[in-house]
Amino acid sequence: MSEAQRQAAAAPDPESLEVVPGFQHDFLQGRVWDAASEEELREGLEKAFDYRGDVTITRRDGTAVEGYIFDRRTGATLAESCVRIIPQGSAARVAIPYSEIAGIVFSGRDAAAGKSWEAWVKKYWEKKAAGETNIELKPENLD
Amino acid sequence: MAVPVSQMWTVASYVLKQRMAGRRRYPLVLMLEPLFRCNLACAGCGKIQYPAHVLKMHLSPEECFRAVEECGAPMVSIPGGEPLLHPEIRQIVEGLVARKKYIYLCTNALLLREKIDLFTPSKYLTFSVHVDGEKEHHDFSVCKEGGFDQAIEGVREAVRRGFRVTTNTTLFDGADPNSVRSFFDQMMELGVEGMMLSPGYSYDKAPDQQHFLGRARTRRLFRAILSNRKPEWRFNMSPLFLEFLMGKRHYTCTPWGMPTFNLFGWQKPCYLLQDGYADTFAELMEATEWEKYGTESGNPKCANCMVHSGYEASAVHDNFNSWRGFVDTAKATLFGRYADPEALEMLKEPVKPVHARAGLVQLQMAGASQGEKQEAEEVQA
Repeated sequence: MSEAQRQAAAAPDPESLEVVPGFQHDFLQGRVWDAASEEELREGLEKAFDYRGDVTITRRDGTAVEGYIFDRRTGATLAESCVRIIPQGSAARVAIPYSEIAGIVFSGRDAAAGKSWEAWVKKYWEKKAAGETNIELKPENLD
Repeated sequence: MAVPVSQMWTVASYVLKQRMAGRRRYPLVLMLEPLFRCNLACAGCGKIQYPAHVLKMHLSPEECFRAVEECGAPMVSIPGGEPLLHPEIRQIVEGLVARKKYIYLCTNALLLREKIDLFTPSKYLTFSVHVDGEKEHHDFSVCKEGGFDQAIEGVREAVRRGFRVTTNTTLFDGADPNSVRSFFDQMMELGVEGMMLSPGYSYDKAPDQQHFLGRARTRRLFRAILSNRKPEWRFNMSPLFLEFLMGKRHYTCTPWGMPTFNLFGWQKPCYLLQDGYADTFAELMEATEWEKYGTESGNPKCANCMVHSGYEASAVHDNFNSWRGFVDTAKATLFGRYADPEALEMLKEPVKPVHARAGLVQLQMAGASQGEKQEAEEVQA
């Protein structure tokens, strides 16, 4: 039985679920990923792909790229695997083979962190009590 | 106003052509996301959490047209982000109308009155306005007081000018079936062509991770809402898909039916999950390991999904794949009131969310008597 099959067998029957438990995320913002082994590197890049903030990738030649990792393609070897990144201040898509990557830093702010429902409700009632009107959560300023 | 016959004919003939060509997997609606930026910050949305430099980017009209031609689907849904924030949305819509694509421009309508002059009424263009229920429910859901009033002003203006208008509503744990039914009455009174409904998908990047409906609760909620229908309610959705939401049918996921193209390329495998990107539509269809997705796959990210982007194309395929499906669709369209005494009883039950959306309860209590408030507090406890 594969790992995926084992996970599926252990999971509750989706047809009987009342509410979906939701997802827990590691808080990775600011973390310098230790990628000494191939396994650690692959795990770090998978987390970097999942991360909703910018990541700084340092190549083995010492150059660095900071940007948003929007895709990763995994192959049998590190040379056959790559991340695809949109660097800050550019519309280009840059592919970097795993074999060229020396370091991963979760350098940008995690855009998916915080802002929970409870935070919104708390803010709403605080503002309401203070007599404010037109209460809202505003999207962040992009500049 | 109802869905134009030309649209129904276009979709029917397209699906039959695919069938005759022996295609097992084909797209029905292209989900075209020309930008991720939005002017709302809804807690249940997992679509807009990106760094600022990504939120500032958008697809050009030419990139949109290339995607539409590559894909070939007869319908194009334009979600986002908020498409009305796109600086060239007029050109995108005009280009798609010229290509005779049926467009559903999904908007929160905050900018609709301001931007409506950019558009010309056409049978090819529908504004699909995001309204998550009655005023207090919508405002709390989109985290903006006054959001409902602005959306409704937009709907009124678009209807007045002769545009095709539908609403689209996402329901989360804690949705009140009676309130949703009253909301249907209000929307039909506004003169919208039809309504669209969806259970909220558990985006793993959504700030709110507690209020996503599981499948069992989804089926009960939709059974309560959609049984014993009033004859004036119209839905701009496959009737078989609505039966699926009510638990009357079983479908497997067909994510290729509504493929997504955005700033990053062709999204694998579907509109809701991001498991990588293909550079071409052909690559998406060939390289995606489709068997890894869908509730039946055991993939935990697909466990609760009953969303249109996975299952409405399955219902449409069912409609055209057998005489049984065709007859069932015709029956549901012509006679689909779904009389169900048990569902009527369900409407009398108090709403019991697993994780109470306390704000909603308190909002409803604002106008309630002391006795009602006490009762509501007991229910919440």
